[in-house]
Amino acid sequence: MTMARCPWYIAGPLLGMVIVGLRAAVNKPLGALGGYIDVVDHGSRPSHLGFSAFLLLGIVLGGALFANLAGTFSPTWVYSTGLPLNGSWQLAALLGAGLAMGIGARTAGGCTSGHGLCGVSLGSSASAVSIITFFATAVALAHALAWLLGGTS
Amino acid sequence: MRVRLAGLLGGMGFGFVLSWARLTDPTVIRNMLLLREAHVFLIMGSAIAVAAIGVRLLRIAGVTSWITREPIGWSVQQPERRHVVGSALFGAGWSVLGTCPGPLAAMIGEGKLSGLIVGAGLLAGVAVQPTLKRHRTVEPHVELSNAVGL
Repeated sequence: MTMARCPWYIAGPLLGMVIVGLRAAVNKPLGALGGYIDVVDHGSRPSHLGFSAFLLLGIVLGGALFANLAGTFSPTWVYSTGLPLNGSWQLAALLGAGLAMGIGARTAGGCTSGHGLCGVSLGSSASAVSIITFFATAVALAHALAWLLGGTS
Repeated sequence: MRVRLAGLLGGMGFGFVLSWARLTDPTVIRNMLLLREAHVFLIMGSAIAVAAIGVRLLRIAGVTSWITREPIGWSVQQPERRHVVGSALFGAGWSVLGTCPGPLAAMIGEGKLSGLIVGAGLLAGVAVQPTLKRHRTVEPHVELSNAVGL
């Protein structure tokens, strides 16, 4: 079965309804970062893993479910960063950018889902500042990298 | 246990839609950040709109949450320096990777195993961040004898 890309006017409201559903069921916010924090803090004692870690595990399973339904599940190590890197340089870029993202997200207390989708919808001005900052930085840096390296398009 | 199950199911719905909308494809995110297409902005905007209305309806209705049995409500934070500093660093990583913590998890589920390398970096960053913070705030209070004794 092939599955076309979900149009924005279905995908967006569905994501919004997940936030509403979690609020209605457990009165908790949606956010992927909390799961990584939960894994780091309690990963050595899996019985202590809570809501956040299970949410993160659910996201992994949701991706796996989609790929299986769509027939696109085929494990691969290929990753297109858009940067003209390969081999150990690409490995370093993935690790380094992941490290920066982890430090940054925990410093800010949220990521694209926690601050960007959930926090903003709850009316948090801290989340509004965060989403504006990470979009501005990422848009500027993406343009700078594309211009400097010409590795995209 | 039911709270964890709710998290698992909510996460599954979230991850499924992220994959279905191709938000797990770094090329899609890069095209969004290069302002080549509006798709992702429209997804985020409509998700925020639906969530903002939905959670307020729940709060206005004064219902209690189905599983945890608490009144629906939340508190919000005021912006601090850390939100700007942290999000700038986060945005830098986002633009290089074309993915962020949620889509990364769904991507790994899809079988894109290089996501595990990003995930290792991300977990390391999440793990070291509190120690970086402690350095900044605790250092001035370290007694000289302690510092020398080390």
